[in-house]
Formats: sequence, C-alpha cells, structure tokens
Amino acid sequence: MAGRQVDLLQGTLDLLVLKSLALGPLHGLGVSHRIAQITKGTFKVKPGSLFPALHRMEESGWLQSSWGESENNRRAKYYRLTAAGRRQLETETQDWQRISFAITSALKAT
Amino acid sequence: MPLIPRLNSLWRNLFHKDRVDQEFNEEIQAYLDMLTEANIRQGLSPQEARRNALIEVGGVEQVQERVREIRMGQFIETAWRDIRFGVRALVHSPIFTIVTVLSLALGIGANTAIFSVVNGLLLRPLPYPESERIVDVWHTPPQQSFPGLDRFSVSPANYLDWKAQSSTFEQMAIYGYAGLSLSTSNDPLPLIGATVSSDFFSVLRTNAMQGRTFTPDEEQPGRDQVVVISQALWQRAFGANPNIIGQTVTLNSRSFTVVGIMPAGFALPREADLWVPLGWDDKERQTRSIHDYIVIARLKQNVSLQQAQAEMSTISTRLEQQYPEENSGWGAVVIPLHEDLVGDIRTALLVLFCAVGFVLLIACANVANLMLARGANRQKEIAVRIALGAGRARLIRQLLTESVLLAVTGGLLGLLLAVWGSRMLVRLGSLPNSGDIGIDTWALGFTLLVSFAAGIIIGIVPALQFTRTSLSETLKQGAGRTGGSPMKQHTRKALVISEVALSLVLLIGAGLMIRSFWKLQNVDPGFDTSNLLTMSVGLTPIRYSEPHQQLAFLDRVTEQIRAVPGVVSVGATTTIPLAGGGSTQPFSIEGRPTGTVAEQPMAQTRYISSDYFRAIGIPLRQGRFFSDQDRDNSVPVVIISEAMARRFWPGENPIGKRLTPSFHVKQGAREIVGVVGDVKTSGLDVDASAMMYLPYKQAPRPYMSFVVRTASNPESLVQPVSRAIYSIDKEQALTDVQTMDQVLMQSLSGRRFNMTLLLAFAGVALVLAAVGVYGVMNYTVTLRRRELGIRMALGAETRDVLRLVLRQGLTLTLIGVGAGLISAYALTRLMASLLYGVTATDYLTFASVSAVLIAVGLLASYVPARRATKVDPTIALRTE
Repeated sequence: MAGRQVDLLQGTLDLLVLKSLALGPLHGLGVSHRIAQITKGTFKVKPGSLFPALHRMEESGWLQSSWGESENNRRAKYYRLTAAGRRQLETETQDWQRISFAITSALKAT
Repeated sequence: MPLIPRLNSLWRNLFHKDRVDQEFNEEIQAYLDMLTEANIRQGLSPQEARRNALIEVGGVEQVQERVREIRMGQFIETAWRDIRFGVRALVHSPIFTIVTVLSLALGIGANTAIFSVVNGLLLRPLPYPESERIVDVWHTPPQQSFPGLDRFSVSPANYLDWKAQSSTFEQMAIYGYAGLSLSTSNDPLPLIGATVSSDFFSVLRTNAMQGRTFTPDEEQPGRDQVVVISQALWQRAFGANPNIIGQTVTLNSRSFTVVGIMPAGFALPREADLWVPLGWDDKERQTRSIHDYIVIARLKQNVSLQQAQAEMSTISTRLEQQYPEENSGWGAVVIPLHEDLVGDIRTALLVLFCAVGFVLLIACANVANLMLARGANRQKEIAVRIALGAGRARLIRQLLTESVLLAVTGGLLGLLLAVWGSRMLVRLGSLPNSGDIGIDTWALGFTLLVSFAAGIIIGIVPALQFTRTSLSETLKQGAGRTGGSPMKQHTRKALVISEVALSLVLLIGAGLMIRSFWKLQNVDPGFDTSNLLTMSVGLTPIRYSEPHQQLAFLDRVTEQIRAVPGVVSVGATTTIPLAGGGSTQPFSIEGRPTGTVAEQPMAQTRYISSDYFRAIGIPLRQGRFFSDQDRDNSVPVVIISEAMARRFWPGENPIGKRLTPSFHVKQGAREIVGVVGDVKTSGLDVDASAMMYLPYKQAPRPYMSFVVRTASNPESLVQPVSRAIYSIDKEQALTDVQTMDQVLMQSLSGRRFNMTLLLAFAGVALVLAAVGVYGVMNYTVTLRRRELGIRMALGAETRDVLRLVLRQGLTLTLIGVGAGLISAYALTRLMASLLYGVTATDYLTFASVSAVLIAVGLLASYVPARRATKVDPTIALRTE
C-alpha cells in the first residue's frame, strides 16, 4: 500500500505548511524554520519537497504569493494563506485528529 | 483561486514559461542566500556556510523541474476532475442531457452551416495570387438613359484607351461571354465560353495547369483558333485525356487547337468551360458605342482603390470631351473583383447569419432555463458541498465545466449537422463559387468558439444563482418544495421573455420575406407563363453568316416545331423574358431634335418572329402585330410597349409615328404599327421599361430563342422539340431548354432561398419559445400547487384557476412581444433591400405575427393551466 503512505506523508506536509502560515506570511526559508520550530525539530523540510508543495498549494488556491523584503533587506517571495487555505487547514486538522486518535487507539489495544 | 487569476496563472504557466522559471530561480537563490547568512550567523566560515546551504537545497535544477511539473499538472488535474464529475452528473440525468445536447446541436449546427457559406463567399479571398489587388473596371452609364444602373459593360475602343492612358494598373485585360457549342459524336454540347485578351490570365496571375495560355499574336484574327479549357471540361468532355494538348476540337463549326488546361477552381467568368482569344478586327477595335465586354485589371503595388478611381475618372472625362458623340455621360468605376462577384448576396447572408445567431441565443436561453429547473434538484448537493468548505469560485468553475461539456458535445454533433446543412445550402441556393463552401479549419474553429461561448452563456446564470443560496434556507426546505426562491423565478421569467422577444424578431423578418414573395408571385409578368417551353440557339457564324441563311434556319425550325404533335404555337425572340440578358439601344424620334447618340433616349430592343406575341401571350393594345408581309423590301416597322408609348408619346396616339433605332440607321425611320402590353424582363421585382420590337424578317440576328406554347405539360415535349431542331442542323447547340415555370422559379430562386431559410429559423425559434413558456409555466404551477389547492379548497372554480395561470403566461408573452416589437422595428430596416412591395415596418406583418406569437404563448400556458385545475386540494396541502 505504498500509495496511501505517500498520500499520508503529503497530507502531513501540507498540514504543516498550512499551520506554519496560519500566523502570518512567510518566505520559503521562514516556512522551513517555522516547521522545525513548531515540531520541536522533529521535521526538517528540505527545499526539494518544500517548494513543490508551496507551488502546488498555490495552484490549488490555498496560498497566495507576493514579492517582498526579507528581514535582511533581501527580495524574497512571501506566501500567505487564502480563505480557502484556512478552510483547508481546518479540514485537514480535523482529519488528522481523527487519524491520530484512531492510530493511537489501535496501538493501545491489546 | 477566483477564475480570473486562475486563468491568468494558466496563461503564464503555458505561455510565459521563461518568466515563471526565472521567477522561481530568483526565489530559490534568495533561499540559498538567506540560508548561507543563517549558517554564517551560526559561526560557519562563508565557504562552508555556502556549501552546506547548497547540499541542503540538493540540486536547484531538480527542484525547479518538480515545481514546473506541479504548476502545470495542477490545473489540468482540476479540469480533468471537473470533467469526470460533469460527465457523471450528465449521465445521471440522461433525458436532460439528450434534450440540451440536441437543442444546442441544432443551434450550433445551423450557425456553422451558415458560417461555412459566409466564410466561403464573403471572407475567404479569391483563389488568385494577391487577389485583393484585382478589380473590375466598369462604365457608369448616363443616368437619364439608364436610371438606377450603376455599372455597364465596356466597348472595345474605350477599353483600349483606358489601357493605354492609365498608370495605376499593373495590367488591364478584357473579356466577353461567348456561347460556344462543341461538336461531339452525339448532340452538340452547349458550353459557357469567354473571349479574352491575351493578358487576361496574367492579370489573374494564373498559369495553365498543362500547356499554356495565349500569346499576344493570337489576338489577331486568323491566328485566334486556339482554345484553353477548364479542368472540369477536360474531365467531362475529354475523359481527362492526357494527350489533349495540341488536338483539334470543333467549336461553332470551326476547328480550334487546344493549347492549355486551366487548374481546377479557375472560374472567371463564373462557370466558364473554356476561353478563346478575342480576335478583334480593326473595325471592332474602333467600336465605341457597343458595350459588350468586362474589364479586369490588377492594381499596382501600393496603389489604393481611390487613386485608381481618381485616375479612371480623369481619363473618362477626357474621353467624354474627345468623343462627345459616343461617350458623353459615360464615366468609369473601379470595383474590387471579390465585391463584384459576391454582389447582392452579402445583405442576404448577413441577415441569415443574424437570424441563425438569434436561434442559438433562444436555444441557449431554453437550456439555461432547463439547467435552472434541474439545479433546483441539485441545490441540496451544492449546499452540502458549500457546507463542507468548497469555495464559491470552485463550484462555479465546476458548474461551468459541466455546461461547456454539454455545449461542446452539442457542437460536435452540430458539426455533423453542418456538414449536411452546408451541402443542402449550396444545392438550395445555387450559390456562386460553391466549391469553396464546406467545413474547413475556419468553420471548425468557429464551431469550437461558438460552443464554448454557448457553454458559458448557458452555465453562468445558473452557476451564479446556485452558489449564492444561503445554506440555512436550502437545508431548511423540505423534500416537497425544492428551490423556488423569487430571485430564481425572476431569472427564469426574464429568460423566457427574451426568448419570446427574439423569436418575434425572427418571425417578423420571415413574415416580411413571405409577404414580399407572395406579392412577387402575384405580379403579372405581362404574358401567359403556363404551358410554355423555351430554348435558345446561337447560330455558328461559319454556316450562318448571311442574313438569308439565318432567316431560312428560323423559318424551317419554326415549321418543324409547329409540326410536333401537342404544339399549339411557336414564336421566336432574341431574349426570353425573365431569363436574364437583353440588349438596349438608343433611338431618335422623327420630328424631334436628334442630338448625339449619347444624348438619345434608350429602349430595350427585341427582334421577334411574327407569331411571337401570339405564342407567348402578350396582348395587343393598339394597332396590329407583325405579319409575314413585314419583310425585307416592305416598309420598315416597329412595335412598342405601353411603357414606351406612355413615356415618349404621353397623351398622343403613337401609331403611325416614326423612330430610328441607332443600330438600324441604314433602313431609315420605322413606322410604329402597334402598341403591346408591358412585360417584366429583368425580374418580377423590376418595373417594366420602355421596349421596342423589330421583326426578324427586316433585321435578322444570328441567335434566337423559341417560345413553344403546348397543349399540355410542356416538359413532355422537350425531347420531340429538340429532335425537331436538330433535324434541321445537328451542329447548332440548344441551350437553356426549360419551361417558363422553371425560368420563373430560377428568377425567384435567391428570394426563395432567403425566405425558406428565414422561415425555417423562425419556425425553430417559435417552437423553442413555446417550449420555454411551457417550461416556466409548468414549473410555476408546481410551485404554486399549495396556493392553488388552498384557493380551490376555499371555493375557487376551475375557470378561476385557469384564468389565473393563463393570465400569468399571457403577461410573460406580452412583455416579450413588446420588447420584440421594439427590437424588430429597429432591426428589420437592415433587410429593406431584400423586400418587395412591403415596407420594413409593415404594420400588418407586425400585428399578425404578434397575434400568432401571443396565441402560441397562450397555448403553451394552457397545458400547465389545465394541470393546475386538476390539483387535488387535499393532496396539495398534505405534501407540505
């Protein structure tokens, strides 16, 4: 069931990206740092998977991007959540909670 | 993402890949730089910091490739998902799908068919290189002699002067029509030929497909017995014989050598079978007042039509002064060849194009209404999807995908209809240049575009409506009352009103055409058209150059035809009325100032046998017909038409007066011996003009047409009469063997074509509008079932309910009719030139068509109204 596994992982990444942007717009490196920060270093997202995810989510209408200045006066592309993105975050959060509850219960079962 | 930014993004991803790539490159470079800086802040050396950053990114190219894939894939994936969903939804309701696809197929197919004609005739350039530079140059005749005529053929001497004096043309050539008969082992084959100057082909920049065209010295009489044939004739008459070049054929009893074959599609003049050189002798080259030819020319590069026109006007003025006798009042006009060939058909086609567009709009409005009705059932599904977080734009896109899917399916089906339809149009309309009409890439593109537009039109209103509904309202509604918000009702009514209005415009257009046609058919042509057979013979000069030979042929043929059983009488004339053609000549009246030829009045001229009037049934008004005693050595005589008598001898008795036709000056003044009734000659819609008749016996001509009055159906005599003529000389080809009814039919064929199509479109529109009214009223009754139930429970009679529903249907129809009348009033004047005997705002047509539409609207409301009266109050109340 390799397919489902990939789906799950992709879903996780999406959830993490959406969550990290929920507090405000960030550029690519910012997203990567924020994810590391909120997962307490469990996940470190590399550009090879981060950028495809960001662009896919932008095409899906969940994110919007614009060019802006970074903290060090560098031109960088910032991503922000759209209304659809917020709704998506809600759905995915609920889904994730259901899954994680189910898996945890399953593992606890004797 | 809303639709516009999304389309914008697709556009960028598809067509501005470079910019997108470059932007991403910048983005990842910034990432690298920032990561490097972060690493430095953590204490790494700049080199190490950079190296670590590069390792983490892991190949800029690969990342870029993946991003690129994703950006493209996402749009296509969404579209694909929507299409799959749409197909499922459509398959789910097959009746709805079939009805909508069929009505759209009808609408789009009709549009494509008409477009293929418009494209083939109006839009596509002629099949000659740089054809936009090819023009016709015509004379403009003096208006006092030819009132209303804006172009006239050209005489040889004037053409030679134009050619020598003009400088705005690269080349100028001239051609004339020539009826030629090709001798074969059986009956001679009548052909459409043209006599052309040698540079005719180079003006058109077209070479022979095999062999060659003419050399300048072949214009000399004596060396002109060469012929170029069309590809079609080569196949038809010579079995595509590959060795035809250099062979000899017999045309009009003279032998000609075939020197070339023109490529397929070369058709100037229209439907020409072959071309022979002009062969003018010196006398002909100096002829200035016999206008028999058509001039074509190719404009020099960068010379405008206006410049050429200005130059031709200057030259004409000069020639008027130089040759006042023949030329005063004769100007010149330069007209693009394409415009000339297309001619009058333009207005008709544009009117038809508008009409067919209206039909599609009505079909769209109907389908949109169906979708609204169906949407009521889907309201739940949509509400749930909104509740689950689907964005409005996303839903709109999904619904539009569905409607475009419907329309494109309809369009593809319509394409099949159009293939058949355009063939039928060509056949029905006997259109010029019909080889160019068909479904080509342009027509395909047009169909696709129209299908997409139709898809958006039918989808946008329902899509906007459904997605606007508030969630709670829909979910609150019980199963019995699905979606009927007042807003939606307004939209549906507005759609139906516009359907009624559009179909009224079409019906009025069709009504005006029918009235014109009807009036034309009741026009008295001036002679008896029933049981009349007509045919023409052009005598070949080689055997019939002498007048006595021509007269002998006429006499013997008349005798032979008269002997055929079933023939009542036979007459001969130079031109059959209404069949087209005819000649006009100036004349002078004895006892009045003569003036120059150019100042003389003009009259149509016919040469006839003594039995002609009796055979064709033109009545005598005064004096006498010709008799066999009017011959070569007797007093020269002439008979005139009533219109001529009225115009030149108002209030006088013309009998005994004398006039001199300019072609027959040698015989001196002719005595008017009779006045006959007027005859329509150029068309039933053209007023009879002044006409004079000369007896063949005093002025023989080498061409004659016969009118044969038969006792019964003239068609049964075609064979015996043809045999009778061929028994005299089997080398003289008969042309245009047809009954007078066929001639009449042909003279009306253009109008019949327009009328039939417009009527068909209007009929479809009427049915669609009726279906629309029916649909909305039916739906209204469903919605008001509860109210009607209460009314009936409270004692309302069947009659009251009927009236209630009918009144609502009538109101819709009346508003539609009102809007339609206003639009029709504004639009029908565009078709004024297609009408005859009625004005574009003919109140009778407006009123009767409105009455028809109102009646249809009432009928369409009556069925739902009947249903309303059948409502059982107890059931209606219980369903709530």
